[in-house]
Amino acid sequence: MTFEQLLLVVLALLALAACVIVARIVRPGSLADRAVAFDALASIIVCGVLVDAARTNDGLRLDLAVVLGLLGFLTSVTVARFIEIQDGQES
Amino acid sequence: MSEFVGIARDVISAIAFIAGAILAIVASIGLHRLGDTRSRMHAATKPATLGVLCCGVGAMVHLAEVSDVTKVLVIIILQLVTAPVGAHMLGRSAREK
Repeated sequence: MTFEQLLLVVLALLALAACVIVARIVRPGSLADRAVAFDALASIIVCGVLVDAARTNDGLRLDLAVVLGLLGFLTSVTVARFIEIQDGQES
Repeated sequence: MSEFVGIARDVISAIAFIAGAILAIVASIGLHRLGDTRSRMHAATKPATLGVLCCGVGAMVHLAEVSDVTKVLVIIILQLVTAPVGAHMLGRSAREK
């Protein structure tokens, strides 16, 4: 098995994990559960971009990983603020 | 000698990538099986820090150019700084009242 084939296997494992996490997001649950699952999904996508950059020897894809990491952080902070404001209005 | 260095770099980056993928699988199983929001947060923060760290080390060892290594270091440091902040805000918003 060459290195590129092994990286394809790693990408398949990451895709499997991402599918299981998407099932967790779709499953009924509270908003905080889904936000936690989305945070994990964003970090797994960053991992996948890193693996793909190593597989194709393409350093330009690392810029994509920087942007995705920032986007994951911004979404989790925004959803957390939203949940806090929503709970404050109900009580 | 350079052939040996190439094989060693491939082995090290392959081990790092496989560790990152296993962490992602374990976290996705834990998100389904743990019972509490904060327990699930405990499962979800492993790939957010250690998984990205492992994949970043693998990409750094494999690419091994100054510009690429710098970008991967930026990704890792950004993730290590922002993941606890986001998890803290989510945990504070998910507390019981």
